Amino acid sequence: MGYQKLLCRSLAAALAAGVLVGGVLTEAAEVRAEMPYDTYSYNYWGEEVQEPHSYLYSRTISSKELGSSLNYPSDLFLRDDRLYIADTGNSRILITDFSGNLLSEITYADGEADRLKEPQGVFVTKEGHIYVADTGNGRIVEYDENGGFIRSIGRPVTTLIADSQVYSPTRVVVDGAGRIYAIAYGINMGLVEFSASGDFQGFMGAARVSVSMFEYIWKNYFSTEAQKQRMETIIPTEYSNIFADNEDFIYATINNLSDEDLAGGADVVRRLNPTGVDVLRRLAAYPIIGDLASTTYGYDWSSFVDIAATDYGCYFILDDEDGKIFAYDNDGNSLFVFGRNGVREGNFQKPVSLAVADEEKTIFVLDNTLNSILVFDITDYGSHLLGAIRKNNLGDAEGSTREWQEVLKYNSNSEMAYIGLGKTNLTEGKYKEAMEYFELGNNRKYYSKAFSYYRKELMERYLTKFVITAAVVFLAVWLVKKGLRGRRWVGEIRCYMENR
Amino acid sequence: MLHGKSLDPYKYVFHVILHPIDGFWDLKREKRGSLGAALLFVALTILTLAVEKMGTAFLFNPNRLSEINVMVDVITVILVYVLWCVANWCTTSLMDGKGKMKDILIAVGYALFPIVLIRLPMVLLSHVIILDEGAFYYMLGFISYAWALALVFTATMMTHEYTLSKTVFTCAITVIAMGIILFIGLLFFNVISEIITFVSTVYKEIRFR
Repeated sequence: MGYQKLLCRSLAAALAAGVLVGGVLTEAAEVRAEMPYDTYSYNYWGEEVQEPHSYLYSRTISSKELGSSLNYPSDLFLRDDRLYIADTGNSRILITDFSGNLLSEITYADGEADRLKEPQGVFVTKEGHIYVADTGNGRIVEYDENGGFIRSIGRPVTTLIADSQVYSPTRVVVDGAGRIYAIAYGINMGLVEFSASGDFQGFMGAARVSVSMFEYIWKNYFSTEAQKQRMETIIPTEYSNIFADNEDFIYATINNLSDEDLAGGADVVRRLNPTGVDVLRRLAAYPIIGDLASTTYGYDWSSFVDIAATDYGCYFILDDEDGKIFAYDNDGNSLFVFGRNGVREGNFQKPVSLAVADEEKTIFVLDNTLNSILVFDITDYGSHLLGAIRKNNLGDAEGSTREWQEVLKYNSNSEMAYIGLGKTNLTEGKYKEAMEYFELGNNRKYYSKAFSYYRKELMERYLTKFVITAAVVFLAVWLVKKGLRGRRWVGEIRCYMENR
Repeated sequence: MLHGKSLDPYKYVFHVILHPIDGFWDLKREKRGSLGAALLFVALTILTLAVEKMGTAFLFNPNRLSEINVMVDVITVILVYVLWCVANWCTTSLMDGKGKMKDILIAVGYALFPIVLIRLPMVLLSHVIILDEGAFYYMLGFISYAWALALVFTATMMTHEYTLSKTVFTCAITVIAMGIILFIGLLFFNVISEIITFVSTVYKEIRFR
């Protein structure tokens, strides 16, 4: 009787648990299903691993919110709580708040007669000065914080650009010292650099020409003049977009490389220091090229059109091929990937630019086919993940540890979290624990570091004991041997005596 | 002697790997080796490679433990061993080598021993060193293979009573012969599978009529 009762009760409990678990699961599945995209990251082995959403699509800023419709916009910039949109097709710059309420509009430069013509780039300095790459008019225009015209920087005065070459700046950034960097159509010598006073300074961060050894030898030693002429001239790559970070380093993306170049390991993201040298850290087990699966099939490479960096070295790259946003940490580890091109609400058609709000709470993505801005809000998981990296960067090891532990609650696959916790344990001197975390995070470099300390610790603890034990054993053996020999000696004497 | 004569071929391997010219000569002339010992050394090589894959410390183990397949080592070692011996026997019979198939099998088996001798302790070593000291580890690994290769070369020279230059030539030809055997083998495998498909299709056709 009692047994039956127990059985009944446990059955009921199991049923209840099943219903509960089922409920939670369907709820989780619904949240996933609501989002028109998956979120994943790449693990040490280069595999896609699904993970909780870091950003959720929340709303769209379209003509309804803006009060007038965009026409083929190209660039989006965010400073404080303002959005600056380069509305190329309508030849204007729009300034809105985060809800899309139009605050002001810039349509002309010096006087109403001097209208902007298809501007493709907009940048705002910390002081609020607005720089516009006025593509159609071949100039860069500076405005003050109220939209008042300050100056116009025209075609660079140099013999380095042929007279026949059209000069059309498409993107512009200004660093803390006031130096102006621009990308211009058809100029493949790097970024065009102007001094703060607007004088042409030269080209910066020229993309390395990628010529294979075979190509070089063939072209220089084995082909005739006629062949050389017929051969396609090898031109260096152009940048697709630039972003100046808080240290005045410039992040640049490249998206016009051939499949062969990409397969050959050409870099598509750079971080240029003020002298134009690429200093992007590439310490992950895989290259920073967006989706890795494409390397297996040799097609469908991610095509980076915009980049935005945080103050602590993480950066977000926008890919217009699949409509994805790739987030990396400052070592080049994949943090998360989200977004998709498609027709559902929250999908992109042709994303062109992204902007990240303070503390990465919101990501705005401008789409030039939908003619609207898609807004993504950070989730708890995302804020713990980015928060952990931010706190670690600020030197707040304790806070960082807490955040990593939260991250692990959401995603036990997070190698980043294991490595983060490992680093904390390493600084706290818990070497054994650190080693375990680094092994889970597949990080041999830090594991080696932790192991070297752990080994030293073991040696210090056991070396004296080991030496003493060895000495005692040695002494004992020696004594026993000596004793035996002694006995033999006694025996020999006795033998000698007896034989005598 | 306490151990008697049966253990002798096993102990003799240490003499062979340290004095290869003398060792391989006596291995054949004086019948100091045995096929059983040689096969044991091949088996030990397989074991070593398997243990190495699974037991090497995290720092020096690039393998994903959940995806290790010991059969891969078993098949690789046996295939390479048999393929080399067969190809070597084929070429040397045409180039008046003095070694019989059994002699080749024994000599190559003995020549693999440095892999066991060095790589097994390396597994232990990997657990006490860090990445900065890895150069020693990788150097040892290189030595183990270089030693074994040099021994295979000496074994060929001594077993067939060749000069140095002729041995180099024979070894090159043997490698090419291995390639040809592999090619013919794959071709044969393909044809067989085609035939099987054909026969089964015909059988199905007839059955369904």
